[in-house]
Amino acid sequence: MTDVMNVSGVAKTFPPNVIALEKADLNVRRGEVHCILGANGAGKSTLLKIIAGAIRPTSGTIAIDGNTVQIGSPSEASEHGISMIYQELDLVPQLTVEQNLYLGQAPSRLGVLDKAKRRAGAIDALRRVGAGFSPDRRVETLSVANQQLTAIARSLTKQAKVIIMDEPSAALNEAELERVFEVIRELTAQGVAIIYVSHRLGELREIGDRVTVLRGGATIDTFDVEGTDDQTLVEAVVGSNRSLLERHERPPLSDRVALKVDRLKGDEGLDISGYEVRWGEISGLTGLNGSGRTSFLRSLYGVRGFTGQVEFDGESFHPSNPAQAISRGVGLVPENRKTEGLILDAPIYTNATLPMLKGTWAARHAERKRQTVPVLAQLSTKYGHPEQKTMQLSGGNQQKIVLAKWVIRGSRLLLLDEPSRGLDVGAKADLYDLVSKLAEDGAAVIVASSELDELYAHCDRIWVFHEGRNIRHFDPAVTDQDTILKAQILGEHHD
Amino acid sequence: MTDTTSDTGKHQGPSLGARIVDTIIQYNFVVIFLFVVVIASLLSDNFLTFTNISNLFQQAAVVGVVAVGMTFVILTGNIDLSVGSVVAFCGMLVAVLLAAGVDPTLSVLVTLVVGASFGMSMGAITALAAVPSFIVTLAGLVSFRGLTYLLTDGVPVSGLPSGFSAISSTMIPLLPGFNMSSMGLIFILLCVVATLVLRYTVLGEYVYATGGNPEAARLAGLPTRRIIIAVFGISGLMSALAGILLTSRLRIGQPTAAQGLELDAIAAVVLGGTSLFGGRGSVVGTLFAVMLLQVLRNIFNLLGLGSFYQMTVTGIIIIAAILLNRFLDIRKGRS
Repeated sequence: MTDVMNVSGVAKTFPPNVIALEKADLNVRRGEVHCILGANGAGKSTLLKIIAGAIRPTSGTIAIDGNTVQIGSPSEASEHGISMIYQELDLVPQLTVEQNLYLGQAPSRLGVLDKAKRRAGAIDALRRVGAGFSPDRRVETLSVANQQLTAIARSLTKQAKVIIMDEPSAALNEAELERVFEVIRELTAQGVAIIYVSHRLGELREIGDRVTVLRGGATIDTFDVEGTDDQTLVEAVVGSNRSLLERHERPPLSDRVALKVDRLKGDEGLDISGYEVRWGEISGLTGLNGSGRTSFLRSLYGVRGFTGQVEFDGESFHPSNPAQAISRGVGLVPENRKTEGLILDAPIYTNATLPMLKGTWAARHAERKRQTVPVLAQLSTKYGHPEQKTMQLSGGNQQKIVLAKWVIRGSRLLLLDEPSRGLDVGAKADLYDLVSKLAEDGAAVIVASSELDELYAHCDRIWVFHEGRNIRHFDPAVTDQDTILKAQILGEHHD
Repeated sequence: MTDTTSDTGKHQGPSLGARIVDTIIQYNFVVIFLFVVVIASLLSDNFLTFTNISNLFQQAAVVGVVAVGMTFVILTGNIDLSVGSVVAFCGMLVAVLLAAGVDPTLSVLVTLVVGASFGMSMGAITALAAVPSFIVTLAGLVSFRGLTYLLTDGVPVSGLPSGFSAISSTMIPLLPGFNMSSMGLIFILLCVVATLVLRYTVLGEYVYATGGNPEAARLAGLPTRRIIIAVFGISGLMSALAGILLTSRLRIGQPTAAQGLELDAIAAVVLGGTSLFGGRGSVVGTLFAVMLLQVLRNIFNLLGLGSFYQMTVTGIIIIAAILLNRFLDIRKGRS
């Protein structure tokens, strides 16, 4: 088989000195399904965006059918026969399937739409992906799987030779995914190459011909899927000589249980059993994107409904809104502090004391400033004065304001969702020091993070979430990181 | 006199000069207001007389009272288009009750309750069904106007008890020789009360928080739906009061009254520096903007220019004020 695309030595540096991609190579053959595997931050999406023309590489070359090409924009990529299907499908929901298929490339004569030609092309493209729905359907009325098929059909109307699919399985159920796989097999039989990104080894085994592993911004190796065992792949993803973060000494766990969760079922297949947190414990939740960490925390905070047996502080716990969770002593540091955690326009002390106002009528500005100042000092927050607008603070200090809310409120169960996102190294260390102190003072803390290093260094126990379930837990004092990483990727079917 | 921005090296906060400039920029509507007042007083010796000032407040009171309620609504990031129709309905309702011989105090109370509940129902639909308030209150605008005509089949109501006009037109001496009409005074007092509520009560904090970031407010345990219902209730209550004042001043219930009043009120709130996206603004700004628009009308009358000129120029001034605020936002974002 001949190569349809050769990517060699592609690098991308964002000024001033962030290296997103160090040196990536990728050779894709005609008519193959080429999978891309790599941990968070390995450079997968940067590489794909470069191929699709969304960003320009700092160095390196891309050749199509043996000819070196410059891909400066998505439309240039499309001229070279490269089409990318994004995870959040870029279709216009209000338009029909036919209109979407020819969006931006509608056939016309003297500015008049050539509807007959468009229709014929649309029917042909839909037939090739085996779609059973009419081109007149509006996209918003289609199921996610059929939208996925529409997006694939659109690549065909552009005469794509290489179709990039970014985690198509994230939004599909098994039957729907099977339909997409069938279409992929038909397309490859017609000579189209598919670049398929997924975290799930099972899928790679089912659909992939070859797999290229990226780690730390560089291509590690390309394997034939057949004849390579899971262990080899996982080791390529994880690497062997990783620098181990020093584990912090943690006091022994108390035996007083703070939170006990059994048979909890909720949105998006959330299914948690046998989970517990002791008082004074820092419990880490890890897992791939979409593994249910955020859903679990939001359920406990009363944002999402759930069923099942949950006991907090020895009593049944079923908050139906955040206010109820707060009154029981639960506090959430949400995933996105700017859109969910803070009112950026408001003064610091307003944000820090917002949950304290319930049940009174007077705003008590002076008293609230008095409550805020010592807590901010305790969290070593850098700020000017308590009336300052929160948006003027740095990210790390903003995050401390979110944390201060719950310290002032006296919360005893803290739910931290990706608390270190967007913080620099110093601010991260600061944040975890504070969390450790809060736990020493008796609070129960649950930290969800995709940064296993952080959890490994600071948690008493680490739970691995996989597709909505808490599949295993580890004591980081006696487990190495690789074991946990492998469990993340492989799920529960493996040792 | 130059603006010394933060090139001083040490982060000791802005210098005194910069802080003065910032304060002037933040309260730019006061500066613009004073500017317009100076022009008006140059144009006419009669402008800065006690009688004229008192008249200005009396004329501005109906829009002003509505604009106070509107400020609450816009601070939460919502809008209330129904206020003009609620003013007309409540103005008619109080007239009908009085003409039917109902006790004046009871008539006023019933009208206030009806206005507040109109507002709260629209707020409840907005908050509970998550429908944009623009649409809900647009429907309110049409329906409440229809109800207003249905009350008397479109016929104005006259023959109100003579004492009823006292609500709006009692002259209250503030200084020797300076008498303010009661409706002007009610407007000013409401501005004071609303400012205190927004500044010193939990409700006020919640209003700003809900408008500033609804999701963060909800996750902090704030009853954001109830807050939305409350601000629409306040807007309805203020509209009812404005309707009562209007009927009291006209001494007649007029079903065609207050057409387009919602736009005057919204214009004043926005001109006063309240962000249409919510979370930022003040009643003080609204007060100055209402008076600014009133002084402009006064100037046009002094110049003998008709309402066509007034409408044209008012629109231009609103655009200019919005552009100025955009510019200030960008300037702040950079520093």
